[in-house]
Amino acid sequence: MFFERFQRSKRDRLSLTDILVFVVPLLFFLIILYSTLAWTVYVSFTDWKTIAPNYVFTGPKWYESIFHQHRFWIDVQNNLKWLILGVVPTVTLAIFLAYLLELSPFPAVESYTRTLILYPVAMSFIVTGTIWSWMYEPTRGVFNTILQGAGFEGLRFATNPNTATYWLILIFIWQYLGFSVIITQSSFRTAELQEMIEAATVDGASKLRILFSVIIPNIRSGLLILISLLLISSLKVFDIIYIVTFGGPGLSTDVLAFNMWISSFQQHLISQGAALGVIIFALAFIIIIPYTIYALRRWFE
Amino acid sequence: MKTKNLNLKIIVFIVLLLLSLAYLLPIYLMVANSLKSIQQITTGNYLFPPSPPVFSNYIEVLFGSNRFRSEMMPRLLNSVIISFTVTALCAFFGGLGGFYLARTKTTFVRILFVLVGIALYLPYQAVIIPIVIIMAKTKLALSYWGLILAYLILNVPLASVLMGTFFLSIPRELEEAAKVDGASRVQTFFRIITPISLPAYASVAIIIFTQVWNEFFMALSLASPKTQTVQVVMAEAKGTTLVLYNLQMASALIAVSVPLIFFLFLGRYFIRGILAGALKG
Repeated sequence: MFFERFQRSKRDRLSLTDILVFVVPLLFFLIILYSTLAWTVYVSFTDWKTIAPNYVFTGPKWYESIFHQHRFWIDVQNNLKWLILGVVPTVTLAIFLAYLLELSPFPAVESYTRTLILYPVAMSFIVTGTIWSWMYEPTRGVFNTILQGAGFEGLRFATNPNTATYWLILIFIWQYLGFSVIITQSSFRTAELQEMIEAATVDGASKLRILFSVIIPNIRSGLLILISLLLISSLKVFDIIYIVTFGGPGLSTDVLAFNMWISSFQQHLISQGAALGVIIFALAFIIIIPYTIYALRRWFE
Repeated sequence: MKTKNLNLKIIVFIVLLLLSLAYLLPIYLMVANSLKSIQQITTGNYLFPPSPPVFSNYIEVLFGSNRFRSEMMPRLLNSVIISFTVTALCAFFGGLGGFYLARTKTTFVRILFVLVGIALYLPYQAVIIPIVIIMAKTKLALSYWGLILAYLILNVPLASVLMGTFFLSIPRELEEAAKVDGASRVQTFFRIITPISLPAYASVAIIIFTQVWNEFFMALSLASPKTQTVQVVMAEAKGTTLVLYNLQMASALIAVSVPLIFFLFLGRYFIRGILAGALKG
């Protein structure tokens, strides 16, 4: 037993060349990454508010200032909308579609649908946003042309401050649906789950019943991953807002990531931008903890 | 039983129709309107096909004109240089790092894995200010190396985990055999592991490439006039030339063409890469 362990550790031991080749490059990039993160944290505790650097430590002044800004709380509200509406409908639709593809009686349907809904993965939010903003355009945009042609009144879409964020979220859902279906589908395809579905079918359970009582409870790990990835993406969302509404009308579509960029690169309130960056990182950190624990277990099992 | 199957068929058919509409319409609009003249845009309906199609739009978008100064050609080159360099270097370093993460099970590797895991989904907002400062101080921001290094810092951890998931599925016996024959770890990696991992490298490369090509936040914050990427110039074009919808759509089409072609021809690797990213590889 002891001898075996000793052997194993000896086998795992790396020579100097091994360390230089395999460990150093990754470590190098990680060290830079975490140094810049620490640097951001430090800047958030200084009073740097012009182009000229100011590295004098002044405490959590900018955090206090941010928490007292009306804008910050608008951002938080909008980010919450993104987190909930960017994820819940996407996951629900993805489960439904993935199941339908599994059941589909036509074999050609699957490959067609996959390509159809997955191609946005190859596109940038800048391109998608550009196309969608012309569909949303209130006077001559595609949606209003269709609505008015059918006798309805046109909508204001992204130019109405009360609803703009929801229309932006729709673009996000459209973009990530194919991605979500692929991940959901792959979590259906474990041998155990297929056996359970078969057994339930033999017992005469209806297709919907199978979905809710057999499939969904058994793809929890797949859903954990999917939900984490979608939460992170909707927390980081910046491009769609930049290209479609630029945070407007007013501040109605502003989010933390956008506020961070405006603060740092337009207003040159570097410390405020850094503080917002740290807040975004803290939120992202909370989201990825369960994911990382799961990944760690799977990796070293 | 038969009626049930019929119901299912109807549901599948309706869903398929709705999905086709939702996913073909944007592509159709992009292609159709990129081929219209500005007169057709301002007087016609966006939904109608172009008549006659104006192919010179693409020339105008690529090389610029008096009314369209956001010419795409130099930016396309910038994006190609930056994305391909980052992809190649990420695949190389990611392979090395991923092999280490997948084959060593010490406490140090566990800590490293957690650090990599957090880095995978790190919001760029948390590191952008120091990166801009570094790149400006070292003048790297003026050359391609500014963006290339920034993307490497953020994507090498991702590439390592993606490659690692593939290496985990390679049986260890292969390396044991090589070791018995007296090969060092480095030799084993380059002579035995790398050749059989080429499909994995393709998947990782395609994921990294798409991500870097489509990235906007970093590109916007770091770009100097000479290193602007396609995404940044597109955003600029939308801001300044609001009426030239046809040219905007033509530049959108050019901007997506490269990753879209990869997607259409290498879709299999694409999906494998996505699944590896979800730790399902």
